[in-house]
Amino acid sequence: MAGVALPKPGSLLIPDWQQSAEGKEYLNSILRKKKRKHFGLLERPVLPPQLPADIANYKIVVCGKGGVGKTSLIAKLAGLEVPNAHHETTGIQTTCVHWPACPRGSERPVIFRLQFWDCGETALRKFDHILPACKEKGDAVLFVFSFTDRSSFEDVPALISRTLGDDEDLARVVIGTKLDQYMHTDVTEQDLRVFQRTWHLPVMRVRSVNGPRLCDGRSLDGRAGLADAAPVLNGLVELLWHRDQVAPWTLFSEVNWPGGGSTAPRLSPRLPHCAPATLRLYTGPHWEDIAWATITGHVEASPIRTGRGQQPLYSDRSLCIMTKTAI
Amino acid sequence: MEESAVYLLCLAASSGVPLYCRSKGSSKQLTFSVIGSLNGVHMFANNQDVLLTATCTGNTRVVWRAFHDSINLIVMSSESAASDHSLHKLLENVFGAMVLVIGLDELTNIKNVERLKKDLRACYKLIDSFLMENEKMGDLTQCVDCVIANDTAILQECLDDFTQAAESNFGCLIAGGKVVAATEKWWRLSSQEVMLLCWLVASLPPNSSRDYPVYLPQGSPTVPHRLLTFQLVPGVDVCVLCGPSPSLQKVENELVERFWKPVVDPLRACLRVQMRSFPASVPIHRGILSLLLVNRDLNKSLHTVQAHPAEDVQNPDLKLALAQRRLALRSFYTLAMSRYFTSDHVDGKNSLQFEEPFPNSFTHSAHQCYTVSSTHKCYGMKTEAHLLFLLFSADVPTFSMRAIANKTMQLFSKDFPF
Ligand SMILES: Nc1nc2c(ncn2[C@@H]2O[C@H](COP(=O)(O)OP(=O)(O)OP(=O)(O)O)[C@@H](O)[C@H]2O)c(=O)[nH]1
Ligand SMILES: [Mg+2]
Repeated sequence: MAGVALPKPGSLLIPDWQQSAEGKEYLNSILRKKKRKHFGLLERPVLPPQLPADIANYKIVVCGKGGVGKTSLIAKLAGLEVPNAHHETTGIQTTCVHWPACPRGSERPVIFRLQFWDCGETALRKFDHILPACKEKGDAVLFVFSFTDRSSFEDVPALISRTLGDDEDLARVVIGTKLDQYMHTDVTEQDLRVFQRTWHLPVMRVRSVNGPRLCDGRSLDGRAGLADAAPVLNGLVELLWHRDQVAPWTLFSEVNWPGGGSTAPRLSPRLPHCAPATLRLYTGPHWEDIAWATITGHVEASPIRTGRGQQPLYSDRSLCIMTKTAI
Repeated sequence: MEESAVYLLCLAASSGVPLYCRSKGSSKQLTFSVIGSLNGVHMFANNQDVLLTATCTGNTRVVWRAFHDSINLIVMSSESAASDHSLHKLLENVFGAMVLVIGLDELTNIKNVERLKKDLRACYKLIDSFLMENEKMGDLTQCVDCVIANDTAILQECLDDFTQAAESNFGCLIAGGKVVAATEKWWRLSSQEVMLLCWLVASLPPNSSRDYPVYLPQGSPTVPHRLLTFQLVPGVDVCVLCGPSPSLQKVENELVERFWKPVVDPLRACLRVQMRSFPASVPIHRGILSLLLVNRDLNKSLHTVQAHPAEDVQNPDLKLALAQRRLALRSFYTLAMSRYFTSDHVDGKNSLQFEEPFPNSFTHSAHQCYTVSSTHKCYGMKTEAHLLFLLFSADVPTFSMRAIANKTMQLFSKDFPF
C-alpha cells in the first residue's frame, strides 16, 4: 500500500448517492419495515430486476486494545444493538454489513458486502491461530483506538507492526472511537494531524452510540442508524474500491487459454511469494480476485466465487496475472 | 428479600473473595456483609466437617455448592417455583458454563484473582441466560431443547456431509436456540455439554460466523476446542467442533454455501415450528396444554407450552397463561424427578443426591405419577427410552390421562420418532 496515494473523499464514489432517489431505492434492499435487515451467510440483498447491482466482497479485520470499542463499532455499522457494558469478545466474531454505493462513471451501483472480523485482545494473546485466521485473505485492517484512552492511540504504530508484516498488502485504516465522549477526550485534533503526517494513513472518527428507536420503543430506527454509519461506510468502501480499481498493478504474466472452459487453468510460471490477495486475474471485461488461488507454482482458480459478477471466471481467452508487489 | 428475585454469588473458596454476583428481578446489590455471612456460615460448617447444602426462610431458598474445593457458588431465590432440585441444577449449569468458557485450570488453580474476575466476565451472558430463561427447559432437564422440523431428514444429511467436509465429527444445527439436528458423535458428548454448547450459541450476540474457544466440562476441561458457528439465515446457526484446523475462513468460503445453499428454504422453515417445537401436523390431544418429552438415550428434550398451534399468541391473556403453564410443568417435572423417578436419573453422573427420594424404604420405583389441582392436572410417565410430562386443563377427566399419555408416547415413538 505504501506509495499509493489515498483517494480524496468523493473522488471515486458519488458522494451522498444514498440520498438520491436512485440511492434510496437501493437502500431499501437493506431495510425492512423501517428496521435494518440482517442477512445470513446464505442470503444477499434482493433487488427488483430494474435495479441491477454487482456485489463486491471484502474482508476487514478489526484490531485494537481491549475495551476501545471494536465490537461496538461493528454493531453500530451493522445496525445492531450497541452493547452498553463491556463484554470482552472471546475468539473471533464476524459480522457482514451490506452497503450500496455508486462508483463514478459506472452504469451500475455496487453492493459492498463488508465482513468485519472482530477478535478480542485476550483471545489474540492466548491463541496463536487467531491472528493468522483473521488475516487470511483479508483486504483491510482497521486499527481502532479510543479518544478517551490516550495510550490506545499512542500504541497504534506498534499495533500496526505487531499485526502486519511489511510485506503484507492489506489496506490500513485507523479509526478513533468514543468521539461523543468529548468531555473525556484524551487525543486532540493536533495529535491526529501529526499522526497523519507521519504515517500517511487514513484516520476516521466514530461515535458508536445507539440512535433513535421506532415507535414500538424497542427496535432501532434503521434509516437513522444508516445515516449515522454512512460516513464511515462510505470512507471504507471508497478506500477498498480505490485499492482495487485504481492502484497500480504490474503485469506478471499472460497466458493464452484458448476457448476458456470450466476447469481450472494450470499456469506454469512460478508465482511471486506474496499474499494471495495481491494476485488478480484478468479475464475479458472484469478484474476478478483470485484470492483463493493456491500458490504452489500454478494457479488453481475455483469457479465457486468471483470477485464482482456472479459468472464463473473462465469466460475469456486470455488470462493475465497481475500483482501489486514488486517481483 | 424481594418477591421473585434471584441472586447468584461466586466466591473463591480459599480466600472468600467474591468473584462475581449476578441477579434477576432486583436492582439492589448485596452488601458485602451479607455476602460475607453467606460464605462464612458455609465455611464454618465446613470446618466442623458438616456439609451445608441448603436452607430456607419464609420466602427464600438458599443453596450452597462447592466445586473442586476452589469455587463456591451460592444462590438465593425467592421465586415461587424454586426448589432445591432446580437450584442445584442452576449451580451445576453455572459452574459448567464457567468451565466451558474459561477452562478448569484457571478455576482450580487460581493464581491471580483480579485476572480471573476479568476473565469470568466472558461467561456473564451465558450465566444470565440461565437466570433469565423463560422458554426452554434444558436448564432444568440438562437435556438440550430440540425442535422437530419438517425436513429433518434432509437437514440431517446436509449436516453430516458438512461436518465431515469440515474435518470434524461433531456438528449441530441450531434454530432459535434449539437443536434441529446433530451428528451422532455430537449426541455422545455429555448431556450437560450438549446443552451448554447450545445455550452458549443462543446467548451470544448475532454474528455471521464465530471461532470460539470452548472447554468441554467432561470431555476436555483443560484443553480448548474450537467451536465454529455459521449463521446460515438469521436465527439458524450451524456449529462444528474442531481441533486446530480448518480455519474459519476456509470453512466459510468453501463449504457453507456449497452444502447449505440448496436447503435454504427448509432452514427458514425451522423457525416457523419454534413456538410449538414440532410441526402443526403432529396431532396432540386437545386436553393437553403443555408437554415435555425427554429422550433418555440421547439426552434430548422436546418441549412446548403451546400444544395447539391455533392459539393466538398475540393475546396478552394467553401470554400470561403460557408463562403459568411453563411454571406448572417445571414444578411438576421437579417433583417427579426428585421424588418418584429418581433411581436411575437421566444423567447418572450426578453422584450427590440432595433430596430424599420418595418412600426411602421401597425397593421398586414409580413409572407413572400424576397430580391434580384446581387449575390443571399433570401426568408423568417413564419408559425405557423416554420420560414424558404432560400438563392438562382441569376439565380432562383424571382417569383418561393415562390413556392420553400412552397415546402421546406412541405418537413420538412411531409416527414422529423423537
Ligand atoms: N460513549 C461511547 N461508548 C462506547 C463507544 N464505543 C464503545 N463504547 C463503550 O465501550 C465499552 C467497550 O466497548 P466494546 O465494543 O465491547 O470494546 P472492544 O474493543 O470490543 O473490547 P474487547 O472485545 O475486550 O477487545 C462498552 O461499554 C461500550 O458501550 C462510543 O463510541 N461511545
Ligand atoms: Mg469486543
